[in-house]
Amino acid sequence: MSLLRACKQAYGLSRQTTPALSSSLRRFASSETPSPAAVEKVDSDIVPTHPDKDVLAADAISGAPEQLRHRVVRIYQPTRNTMQSGGAKTERWRVDFDILQGGGRWENPLMGWASSADYMQGTRMSFRSKEDAVHFAEKQGWDYYIQPATVKRIPPKNYAENYVYKPHKLRIARTK
Amino acid sequence: MATIPARLAQATRPSTNAVEARQRVIQLYRDWYRSAPEIIEIYTLSVSPAHIRHTIRQKFEANRYVTDLRAIDVLLLKSRQDFQETMNCWKQPDHVVGILLKPTERPQKTFMQKFLEGRDEDAVLPAATGVV
Repeated sequence: MSLLRACKQAYGLSRQTTPALSSSLRRFASSETPSPAAVEKVDSDIVPTHPDKDVLAADAISGAPEQLRHRVVRIYQPTRNTMQSGGAKTERWRVDFDILQGGGRWENPLMGWASSADYMQGTRMSFRSKEDAVHFAEKQGWDYYIQPATVKRIPPKNYAENYVYKPHKLRIARTK
Repeated sequence: MATIPARLAQATRPSTNAVEARQRVIQLYRDWYRSAPEIIEIYTLSVSPAHIRHTIRQKFEANRYVTDLRAIDVLLLKSRQDFQETMNCWKQPDHVVGILLKPTERPQKTFMQKFLEGRDEDAVLPAATGVV
């Protein structure tokens, strides 16, 4: 991730200063370089991904402990509460930290309570869009992965469906 | 000790280029460096000026590779404020000893110690666990 950022920065710098250098960098990125014309064609196809917003490196100035730089955050859309709740909260994108597997957690020897020294385990942040969440994570210098959103499937349901004739299929009488 | 509130205050201003930012950083480092004996005198610390300079140097070295001008400006501002608060005696001795001069690195552990503990890596562990 940091390598990616460094590349992006280098690319951004070179874009400002020397176009020749940037083209050489792009040529470096592509694996096969048969001829200059082909290279130019490949260049036009592969759009270099650079951030639209200028990302301020906030991890140096935010005052957050540097241990957080070694952690991974998850960006995801929470699933709906399966009880009688609405689905409004599932439209948000959340950022939370992966749990620590080792000494960050322990069990209370007397009562068996689960304890944790991880101060980020109860912290989660909500964003309106995935891009906002990604931008924030990049700004803070956190490694992140995006958990794909769950596909919501609402099965078709109507009462008449119970009495439709279907050949070679056992009818199940639904009472509800 | 009466202090003038505006003493050592500096107006915030953005750096125009990397050279200017570098000069400002060096000037700030110089101010810290020269004021080491005075800090000891003000807060009656039992450390040497060399120790204070070493700690200050570590704090500067930690941000050595920050290249973003805006980030550098914020770091400069924070350190200037810190400097002003220190030199105007707006801090308690505990703030100086426990925050400014507190060593940041953790005690070194051997491979066997880490293995037997079976814990997370130190780099990942939260700072305030109390189990280190």
